[in-house]
Amino acid sequence: MTFNRRLLRALAAATFSCLTGAAQAHFQMLYVEETALQRAQDLEFALVFTHPFSGGPTLVMEPPRAFSHISSHGGEKIDLRKYLRPVQWQSRENRATAYRASIPRELVRSMGDHIFVLEPEPYLETEEDVYIQQFTKLIVNVGGVPGHWAESQGLPVEIQPLNKPYANWTGGVFRAVVLADGKPVPFAEVEIEYLNHAVDFENNAFGQQAHVTAPQPAFNTLSTYSDAQGIVTIGLPRAGWWGIAALDIGSTKTHKGKPLSQDAVLWVQARDMK
Amino acid sequence: MKSLGSAHRVLMAGALLFYQAAFAHGPVFDCYIESDDQVKCETGFTDGSSAAGRKIHVRDMSNKVLLEGVVGKDNTYTFQPPTGNYSVVFLGGEGHETTIQSSDISR
Repeated sequence: MTFNRRLLRALAAATFSCLTGAAQAHFQMLYVEETALQRAQDLEFALVFTHPFSGGPTLVMEPPRAFSHISSHGGEKIDLRKYLRPVQWQSRENRATAYRASIPRELVRSMGDHIFVLEPEPYLETEEDVYIQQFTKLIVNVGGVPGHWAESQGLPVEIQPLNKPYANWTGGVFRAVVLADGKPVPFAEVEIEYLNHAVDFENNAFGQQAHVTAPQPAFNTLSTYSDAQGIVTIGLPRAGWWGIAALDIGSTKTHKGKPLSQDAVLWVQARDMK
Repeated sequence: MKSLGSAHRVLMAGALLFYQAAFAHGPVFDCYIESDDQVKCETGFTDGSSAAGRKIHVRDMSNKVLLEGVVGKDNTYTFQPPTGNYSVVFLGGEGHETTIQSSDISR
């Protein structure tokens, strides 16, 4: 499955590259503007299934199966689905259904770590005839009090951070453990993409200008593997958002009679030293 | 892999019983208005150590202490706010005093 998906992706990427000069990877975005907050504030989320480096195309999202907040105090899990509203997200290439959520300050006003988890409905990638389901995590910190950022959330597939995802300097190194059913996954295929376009909340769109230009399509999506202990290490060469996705590591391998790739995604924010 | 942070925090907490003053950590402090109009303040330190037992003052604008309370085991202190403007001061130890003005306290 992994090899087949990789091969199909490579072929698709090669075909696409011939046309546009860009290789692509699907990434479930779970975006807020800032993850290290001095004080709690209302949080505006964008949930977009897309290609972050190229800023599109964006893929149609069905209503998520779960969108949860694990509080900084006691780990209470709150269902956030009532805050979701569908929008048509304008990528650099198309428009497709995505979701926005306005989370009130009252839910996140406690100091410490607030963990947000998105379990999307599997997406049928018709070119590969496989379903993709990316369990996605984002961690927001209020006030600088360390919390439960390093703890597993018990997801079927998950990236468990070994560094605080919200406190990283540009040029630093970020480490995490790839987990499936709570156990490290050795030599998991991992893709990394930089969010290369501004997120325009007002227009539900990606900004027109790319922040950086890749010298060659292989730079759009960086690839690596977790090590023998399931640990993945990445660099953060530029301020902004970095998405990490561990591919096809779940134990559930089929959905509606077709192959299913359960991927784990974690978003990491880097800040310049200035 | 379940809880990488927990063991570390337990070790830190144990160490802090003996070496709290020697640790390089900063105080963190915030207050907000609860649904019953009480003001709840959360305290702590940037290294995750507890502020339980530390004092909190509620002062009027002439710096007169109107209320004195103690941070609970859950690192919070809740009080009935006085009328008019006031400040809340977290006495987090030497060099660790932090103040919030009532104008900065909201829901």
